[in-house]
Amino acid sequence: MIMNKQEFLTCTGLEGQTLDLWLEQRWLIPDQTFGGMNFSDVDLARARLIRDLKTGFGVNDEGIDVILHLMDQFHGLRRALDQLHKDL
Amino acid sequence: MTNPYEVLGVAPTASSADVQKAYRKLAKKLHPDLNPGDKTAEEKFKEVAGAYDLLSDSEKRKRFDNGEIDASGVERPQQHFYRDFATSDHAQPYTNNSGYADFMDADDALAELLRRSERARANRRGQDLHYHLPIEFVESITGANKRLTLPDGGTLDVTIPPGLVDGQTLRLRGKGAPGAGTGGPGDALIEIEVLPDRRFTREGDDISLEVPISLSEAVLGGRIRVPTPTGDVTMTVPKGSNTGTTMRLKGKGAPRRGGGYGDQFVKLKVVLPKTPDPELEAFVANWGTGKTFDPREDSAS
Repeated sequence: MIMNKQEFLTCTGLEGQTLDLWLEQRWLIPDQTFGGMNFSDVDLARARLIRDLKTGFGVNDEGIDVILHLMDQFHGLRRALDQLHKDL
Repeated sequence: MTNPYEVLGVAPTASSADVQKAYRKLAKKLHPDLNPGDKTAEEKFKEVAGAYDLLSDSEKRKRFDNGEIDASGVERPQQHFYRDFATSDHAQPYTNNSGYADFMDADDALAELLRRSERARANRRGQDLHYHLPIEFVESITGANKRLTLPDGGTLDVTIPPGLVDGQTLRLRGKGAPGAGTGGPGDALIEIEVLPDRRFTREGDDISLEVPISLSEAVLGGRIRVPTPTGDVTMTVPKGSNTGTTMRLKGKGAPRRGGGYGDQFVKLKVVLPKTPDPELEAFVANWGTGKTFDPREDSAS
């Protein structure tokens, strides 16, 4: 499912300002198109994760930055491992 | 569903702060995104999250304590976690290879395999880019050449073929985001919005249009100029035409898919002069038939 910014805000229940901040931090990287931003299911799931970390677990912004960075590396590793598994 | 107090491991008398503390302790360990390989973590996390959902809401907690709702009454709807997408191609902007980049420098079988999969990923086709392009109604019938200005400042020339309908998507091969390595670029997908026109409306391959005519043209007939999407044409209005009389201009509609064209339907509308005309008033006052003719005769019940 592809959403525009407004639909994404409705779907996640985020404030516009919060989303802008997350975009600025590059925690979310939606597709850029002529008409604006296109948010996908991936971005939605990622936004939920960030929300869980922030409001559910009380992680502050610096912490989220670290977690996302490590998580992205971790998934990169999982991906490589998965590819290796298929190649072997 | 099991008792939420047991799930969180707190006493039924626990304060909300204790509940939150217990939840955070468990959730940190169980969050599926922090346990991508552990299937059971998701189940447990959902249970914990459900329990916390119930107990963190004093209203729901009260109702649960009173037995008004059961623990599963507040179960969360099916949710997709980030890990479900994290290794898919869609999560590409987020992937990060720095976790094993150093392994690839080595000179052994593992490094070779890693490098190979890295190359496969490096040669991925570029993403398709979506655009939206509004065009005039007339352009949708006749076709047009448009230029899109892209967010990065570049431009894209789009040839609109004749006969497009609202919402149709054009695919420009190779005009999407650049691919990596030998992957080749993606496509540009352009959704066309046909702007409504003041004059023309379209139904299938046919076009309708309302044209005002004067009273004398209606009564005596005459030749009038009628706009079509491809330019004005001259049309003969027969004697005794009326408001609602519809005439057909063959082949002046939208292009048909299999070749040929639809028709344009011209609906006439008799319009009196804007300012009252004494001569016309005098004539109608002395006009015999005008007094006996009742246009509502048929519809009267």
